[in-house]
Amino acid sequence: MNPLASIRQLWSAMPTAPADQAGGLGVSIPTAELRALNASQPAGIAAETQPADSSFAGLLGNLVQDVNAKQQLSGQSLRDLQSGQNVSLHQTMITMQEASVSFQLMVEVRNKLLESYQELMRMSV
Amino acid sequence: MINFISSLPSTTAALDAERTRLEVIAQNIANANTTHGLNGRPYHRQQVGFETVLQRAQAGDGHGQSLAVPRAGRVQEDLRPGRAIYQPGHPDADENGMVELPNVNIYEEMADMIVASRTYEANVAVFKNSRSLAMQALSIGKG
Repeated sequence: MNPLASIRQLWSAMPTAPADQAGGLGVSIPTAELRALNASQPAGIAAETQPADSSFAGLLGNLVQDVNAKQQLSGQSLRDLQSGQNVSLHQTMITMQEASVSFQLMVEVRNKLLESYQELMRMSV
Repeated sequence: MINFISSLPSTTAALDAERTRLEVIAQNIANANTTHGLNGRPYHRQQVGFETVLQRAQAGDGHGQSLAVPRAGRVQEDLRPGRAIYQPGHPDADENGMVELPNVNIYEEMADMIVASRTYEANVAVFKNSRSLAMQALSIGKG
């Protein structure tokens, strides 16, 4: 079982989560203001930096999918090397390092998210 | 897919090319005493020529710039004549008792090998450096 698959499921469940929490806790999140803030940034930058699914959860999902793809690529490369396919040692090492760096990036993003969530939970209403 | 480590395509291509060169050098050294090659003639030293190929950089937006990366392209035979020695009993001796040796010069091959492995080392250093740059950039988020 790929450990990343469960994390991806977690991310993909995210878009519905804030609404549920808001309803359950009875706190209204000023989403309209946030949308206005997002809309106020220059259109050029927005179009360039945001891929197909431009919601934040979508971006995270893309990131996790990318990391997952890199991990799978690295595993495939390692398997190919071990089974004597035409893969060089340095190629395998490079793919493994790439996968490791992208995983680190994902962990950093997750840490940041968790940190901000805890910050919000500590906030006195 | 996102490219987290910069300069990756060039470095990978250079490592591949140097590896091919090292393989050819290994073949030359291994055949340094082969007096009966595939065509019945003594083995002739092979040498690798590198060439530049354009590789499309992997960019998310689909219109990344092209990178000039090296590739071990042509493998050519060294046409210099080999040394001939007088050895009448040798299986490959001609009617005059002369045996033509391969034109492989071990010292030359060793020097080439040093160059190739140093270049490989340099490319590995480039990769390590890019990786540590990426890790340092990630450490911005810590603390």
